Amino acid sequence: MPDLFVAGGHHKSTHKMPPEDVLRKMPGHTRNPLSAYCYYPHNVEFFNKDSEEKIVLLLRRHPITNLQWIIIAVFMLLAPLALDVLPLLNFLPGNFQTVAIMLWYLLTLAFIFEQFLTWFFNVNIVTDERLFDVDFVNLLYREITDANLGNIEDVTVKIGSVIRTVFNYGDVLIQTAGEVPNIEFDAVPHPDQVAKILRGLSVEEEIERIEGRVR
Amino acid sequence: MGELAQATPIFLFIAKGVILLFLGIYIIFAVVVLRQIGLMTTTLKVGLEGTLKVFGYLHLILAIGLFLIALLLL
Repeated sequence: MPDLFVAGGHHKSTHKMPPEDVLRKMPGHTRNPLSAYCYYPHNVEFFNKDSEEKIVLLLRRHPITNLQWIIIAVFMLLAPLALDVLPLLNFLPGNFQTVAIMLWYLLTLAFIFEQFLTWFFNVNIVTDERLFDVDFVNLLYREITDANLGNIEDVTVKIGSVIRTVFNYGDVLIQTAGEVPNIEFDAVPHPDQVAKILRGLSVEEEIERIEGRVR
Repeated sequence: MGELAQATPIFLFIAKGVILLFLGIYIIFAVVVLRQIGLMTTTLKVGLEGTLKVFGYLHLILAIGLFLIALLLL
């Protein structure tokens, strides 16, 4: 029973990283650290990564999902100009008005910075062994869920609105067999492609398990 | 409608206290943001760590700077 010998061990991955010249031509491969869809990303490391583990996909929410807070930020930046029309602070002396406006801009800066950080660090990572969902819910709360590729049972793609169809992004729901709850990649670009890659890696992992390769 | 009512000295004194208290708390918030950036960049390294840390420090410096400005101006 080969399974007895692999219990508790990691499978030795046969997944080969494509050569650099091939990588450059691959759709979705980019060196841009702000990219929301990166196939075989460069210089990406994460906590708890195995030395032999290769990162296949790095995903974030589609950039268009940032539009809402960007519009709010633009209004916040322009709001002090409205004081010419609506003199709400005129009852205060000049020095208080100056400090109030500076304080407003500081809050706006904090809002923009916080929203950007939330988008930037909420990532989904797919390696040749596992998949990760990293969520920074707020400044103080972090949640990292991971599951082995071998535990993937079902991958569902959900694209449900006009804007999602136009910009080709959606949710990818991954049902796993382990104790880990289902993992959801929210609003990621090219969800069909992501699902296809996940299925491919899952099959590869299954073949390795059957062959009994251990690291 | 005549002139807008001007704030009374007691109101300005309380307002100054509230603004300084708020900015004091804001400095703590800026330190937490900086700490969080450190934690986030430990969890995930994608090549923008240095830039983000610079922004974090800049944010903290601005918060301290505004606190000092408020202390001097008000």
